Amino acid sequence: MFRIDFNKLRFLVCDDNPHMRRILRTLLHSFGAREVYESEDGATALEMYTHYVPDIVITDWAMPIFDGLELAQMIRQPESKGNPYAPIIMLTGHSEKRRVTVARDAGVTEFLAKPISAKGLYQRILNVVANPRPFIKTKTYFGPDRRRNTNAAYIGPERRVGGQVEVLQQPSLLDKARSTI
Amino acid sequence: MTKNKSDLIDVQKFADHHVITQPNPLRKVLRRVAEEELDDPVARAEKALADLSGEFKQWMVIESERLAAAHAAILKDSFSDTRRDELFRAAHDIKGDAATFGFPSAGAAAESLCRIIEHAPDLANVPSELIAHHINAIQAIVLERTKLDNISMASELSRRLRGVADEYLARVNHDRPEHLEAIMAPSIAPTD
Repeated sequence: MFRIDFNKLRFLVCDDNPHMRRILRTLLHSFGAREVYESEDGATALEMYTHYVPDIVITDWAMPIFDGLELAQMIRQPESKGNPYAPIIMLTGHSEKRRVTVARDAGVTEFLAKPISAKGLYQRILNVVANPRPFIKTKTYFGPDRRRNTNAAYIGPERRVGGQVEVLQQPSLLDKARSTI
Repeated sequence: MTKNKSDLIDVQKFADHHVITQPNPLRKVLRRVAEEELDDPVARAEKALADLSGEFKQWMVIESERLAAAHAAILKDSFSDTRRDELFRAAHDIKGDAATFGFPSAGAAAESLCRIIEHAPDLANVPSELIAHHINAIQAIVLERTKLDNISMASELSRRLRGVADEYLARVNHDRPEHLEAIMAPSIAPTD
């Protein structure tokens, strides 16, 4: 059984709603985190990301001007000077299947649909700490490997060519989003 | 913790993609513990949330007032992209937060309102009562909870609003299959 030393982790929380930031701060501090940086919009979050080099980013989606999806896309720039590999947990009120797909294609590591729970958040953090996925770079994508199970019958247009199909077996992002753990 | 050293990153190159693997920079924060270890971070966090819950009612009042203000601005000056976005964000925040704050029926009504804002072809043509009823319901659920402590009443109110909203959205989107599909798709939000 594993536990996380939260006091060694640095978090960046981005949410325009002060009440949700307070909830997140309370949860993370209760887990044991000491370093929790907060931003209320994507642009500030990006500056803080470069400055504080957080280990894990937790971001809302819907925010004014520069939203969480754009933040994820900005972080996932393989040539950027910052760290493009940090785990990104999208915590959002969006609860439609297509949103999970869009978030995944922006390079989001985990998706957590509100309402938030301590258990759901802890499990997402545990997963990104204990089970990091390799990154994939294609012409149109840079981010965590989006394949979570092997499907030999897949014939879609985006099947990668070459290489062994070594897939870290995990529930799909959508299946995980449907449950609290 | 997460400084990436390029010489530690393994890159496998294939025809149309690269697979990039780096040593887990967060491995050091994991520690093995005995099953019987008493410390439970999730239970600790749940207790902290419970300690905070005394503030939730006031937070919901603030959120519902923000929603009403966004609606009032639209009634005064009609829809614009900015005013529409503010109405959506206010409703969307309630949709996401209300269940955590102990007002799940307000969250359900807010979700229904979000669907109207997102999927109505032209918000200016949405019957004004439809939007107003959602906002009034959310405010009533939040402000009158002690009177509406019969939870089923609030739940029934949200359910009926959702029914009316869905019927309207299905009608106005009959020739927009992508919206119809999104409207009919089940929510992925956890139910517990």
